[in-house]
Amino acid sequence: MFPGAVADREDARYVLLGAPLDISTTFQPGTRFGPDRVRRFARTFDDFDHHTRSHFTDLAVHDGGDLRAWDDAREYLDFLEGMVGDARSDGAVPLLLGGEHTVTVAGVRACDPDVFVCLDAHLDLREEYDGNPLSHATVTRHALDVAEEAVVLGARTGSEAEWDRASEADVTVVPPGEVGEWTPDFGDRSVYLSVDVDGADPAFAPGTGTMEPFGLFPREMHRVVRAVASHCVGFDVVEVNDRDDGQAATLAGKLLRAFVFAHAAGGDDSGR
Amino acid sequence: MAKQQTEVRDLQEGSYVMIEDVPCVINSYSTAKPGKHGSAKARVEGKGVFDSKKRNFTQPVDAKVWVPIIDRKQGQVVSANNGEMQVMDLETYETFTMRVPDGVDAANEDEIEFLQYEDQRKIV
Repeated sequence: MFPGAVADREDARYVLLGAPLDISTTFQPGTRFGPDRVRRFARTFDDFDHHTRSHFTDLAVHDGGDLRAWDDAREYLDFLEGMVGDARSDGAVPLLLGGEHTVTVAGVRACDPDVFVCLDAHLDLREEYDGNPLSHATVTRHALDVAEEAVVLGARTGSEAEWDRASEADVTVVPPGEVGEWTPDFGDRSVYLSVDVDGADPAFAPGTGTMEPFGLFPREMHRVVRAVASHCVGFDVVEVNDRDDGQAATLAGKLLRAFVFAHAAGGDDSGR
Repeated sequence: MAKQQTEVRDLQEGSYVMIEDVPCVINSYSTAKPGKHGSAKARVEGKGVFDSKKRNFTQPVDAKVWVPIIDRKQGQVVSANNGEMQVMDLETYETFTMRVPDGVDAANEDEIEFLQYEDQRKIV
C-alpha cells in the first residue's frame, strides 16, 4: 500500500492504481518494478504537508494495488482504461503509478480531459516506434486523439518529425530553461497531468529507462505539479525503474503526494 | 424463472446481466490475464435496461453471475391520457398501465414492442 493511502474504495476521493507495464521500454527496462518501488521509497515521508497544512491520511486516498500487466498492450490498456474510468464514475480522481509511459494512454482515454499536460524529457509525438503504435514514445500523440491541446514541459529531445508536429497550434513545448517561469492558463478547461520522471535531470532521477541530460530540477517539477493540480481530473507518474538507489522513486512518490495535497486544497473540483 | 446463472466468462457485449440486483445490458467487457498466480479477471460495464444508469463490476472469469430473462413482447394501446396508457399484452391479453415515455406519441390501437422483466417494462 502507498503510505497513507488508508481510505476504503467506497469512501475514496483519490484512487491509486499501480500499472507495472514494461514491454516497450527501449533502453533500460524495469518499469515493472516502478509501482512497488515508489510505494517503498514513500515510506519515509511525513504525513503532514506544511504548504497546505493537511495530513495525507486525511485526504481519502485509496490504494487499489497493481493491475498486473501482460504482453498485449492494447488489451491491457483497454482493461486499465475501464478500471480508471470506474474510479472517475465513482467521483474519485484516479492516480496512476507506472509502469512505462504507455499507461498514460489509458488514463487520458478514461478521463477525457480538454488539455494534456506532461512533464517529460521527450516529445513522445511519434506515430510509432519500431513499428509499435503503442510504444512509450507515442504517448502525447495518443493524448491528442482525446485532448484538444498538449503542453509538454521540460521537453528537450525528439525526432525531426516530432519537432515538426510540435510546431502545430495544438502543442506547446516549454523548454527546461523556461519551466521555472511557466504558469498555467487553462480557464475552466479540464486537465490530465502526466509526470514522466525522466523530465527531471538524470542526476536527480537516474532510475528511468531513457535518461536525457539538461533536464528539470525537482523543485521546478514540484511547482508545476502544485500549480496544475487544481485543474486536474486525473494524474499519473511513470517511467520509474529499479536501476538507481531510489532517487527516481523518491521523486515520483513525493510528486504524487504533492499532487494530492494541492488538488485537495484547491477546492472541490474533482468532478470537472 | 426470471433469471439464470452463468459464469462471468460467458458474458458478452450486448447481452444482459444483473449488476447490483438490477438488470443491465453489457456495453463493455474486457479481461485481464491471470499470470502464474491468481485468476483471470473480467471487467463488465453495463447500463440499466430500465433506468439507464451505468453500473460495473470486476470479478474472476469463473465467478457466477445472474443473467435476467427479459422478454420482448408485443402490445396494443387500449387508451392513453394524462401521460399514462393502458396496454394489452397481445400474447396473454392481460392489460397493464404504464407511463407514456417522453417523446412517444401514443394513440389508441397503436401496436408497440416492449421489454419486460418481472413488473418492469420499457418500450423499445
